Amino acid sequence: MAGLPRQSAVASLLVTNIMAIDYKRELERAAKSMILVHEPNLLIKMIVRLMVQRVEVKHAGVLLYHRDKESYVLTVSRGSVGQKIPSGFARMDLDNPLIRFFRERHSRLPGDGIIIRRGIDKLSRSRDFSPESKELLRGVSYQMDILEAVVCVPSYFRDNLMGVLFMGSKKSGRDFRRKELDFFSALASNVAMALRNAQLFKDLEGELDKNKQLFINITMAFVAAIDAKDHYTGSHTERVTDISLKIAKGLIHENKVKIDNNFLEDLQIAGLLHDIGKIGISESILNKREVLTDDERTKIREHTVLGVNILHTMGNLLRQPLLGIRYHHEKYDGEGYPDGLSGEDIPLVASIISVADAFDAMTTDRPYRAALTKEAAIDEIRRFSGKQFNPWVAEIFLKLCHEGKI
Amino acid sequence: MPKILIVDDELDTRQFLANFFRKRKIDTFTAAGGQEALLIFEREKPGVILLDIIMGGMDGVEVLKRIKERDSGARVIMVTGKSPDQDIIKKCKDLGAYAYIHKPLELDELEKQVLSLI
Repeated sequence: MAGLPRQSAVASLLVTNIMAIDYKRELERAAKSMILVHEPNLLIKMIVRLMVQRVEVKHAGVLLYHRDKESYVLTVSRGSVGQKIPSGFARMDLDNPLIRFFRERHSRLPGDGIIIRRGIDKLSRSRDFSPESKELLRGVSYQMDILEAVVCVPSYFRDNLMGVLFMGSKKSGRDFRRKELDFFSALASNVAMALRNAQLFKDLEGELDKNKQLFINITMAFVAAIDAKDHYTGSHTERVTDISLKIAKGLIHENKVKIDNNFLEDLQIAGLLHDIGKIGISESILNKREVLTDDERTKIREHTVLGVNILHTMGNLLRQPLLGIRYHHEKYDGEGYPDGLSGEDIPLVASIISVADAFDAMTTDRPYRAALTKEAAIDEIRRFSGKQFNPWVAEIFLKLCHEGKI
Repeated sequence: MPKILIVDDELDTRQFLANFFRKRKIDTFTAAGGQEALLIFEREKPGVILLDIIMGGMDGVEVLKRIKERDSGARVIMVTGKSPDQDIIKKCKDLGAYAYIHKPLELDELEKQVLSLI
């Protein structure tokens, strides 16, 4: 294919330079949209609409590369009845002459790579080219015919063909002007940029998702470690987490507190890890059947601070969960541990876990006593609301119990 | 003039395909559903039928069955948008569908296939 004249020179065969609309302004407007619109499909729709409305072409469309399908799929198309190709209806594979032409030739092509049907037809008859080149050009022309395209504009990012914009003839029947082709070319690079940004963003999100999954898996491993140590714990952790989340959702529902987006996730992690400090407590104390001595009680109380110590290297990631782990045994009246915080000084994440933890502990058999009935446990929560428990949290908990949701 | 019948419940698709084949000098008929398709089939005896599988009301497989009951030699190309369900493909084959294509499709291949049958 060496020896083809510059594509822009081909284009100029058919172009006059009269300016009908202010393309600079249109371009600025499009660029502004690109900043505002993060969804590339939406942007591409806007661009195609712009081409149809402003340049008054009969129809226009965009073929976009799909990594998983290894083909270019007609994603957006606009135009009059019968010319608009339904979105997702057609595709062009990598061996399609039009796609091959743009994929193989762009790096050797100076200029913007825009092709015009008549220019291509002319070149395909030229004596200067090899039979293979002419065959490819005829293939390109045939593919443009299939799309009823008069102009095709490739959209590259670096060396990758991200998509192809195409448009049919103008409603007026006139040829495209140089200014108009420059406009298309600028739009095409906008499309490439938007697609690239969206792809980068998606990759980044995928990476975050992977990390999050890894983090959840590690959390579950910790939970298993607690369970292995403290026989009673078992599904206690999961129940506390479950009840805590229900309370939090209840609080959100009642608009009792302002809760940010990550709160539920943090609460979930805090619920799962609230007893992790028990890993550092002797099993003989954890599973003791008799009443604990004062020393042993002091030891057990250390699990709040021990938990924070175990996880402190993840402090940045676990800022809020660590508050839950450290303070889930604080009491509203200031009589709790480890720091004797009171009232609203106790972080909400800890106040919620505190209620869930107490309720589940009361309704489960412990080494040293049998379980209370659910009703008795609910009565205890009610009785100690405002003393041991944050009254707002207790109120929501009681409401959920009343509604049979816990 | 060779005839083709396009059966699809989406207006855009019918209009695009009708335009596409009319430009290629093929006498084109469209139907938005099964009953209409059978009526046109009886009347026009098209050489090729492009039949969408997933349609509201009578689905493509049922239409295929009824067309084949009327004329076992009818050449029916099945079209579907979803990734192919092997059971449905087998059913279409058993009923005597000529070919099976799924969207997004290659327009040049579609053209070649239809022209070769007409």
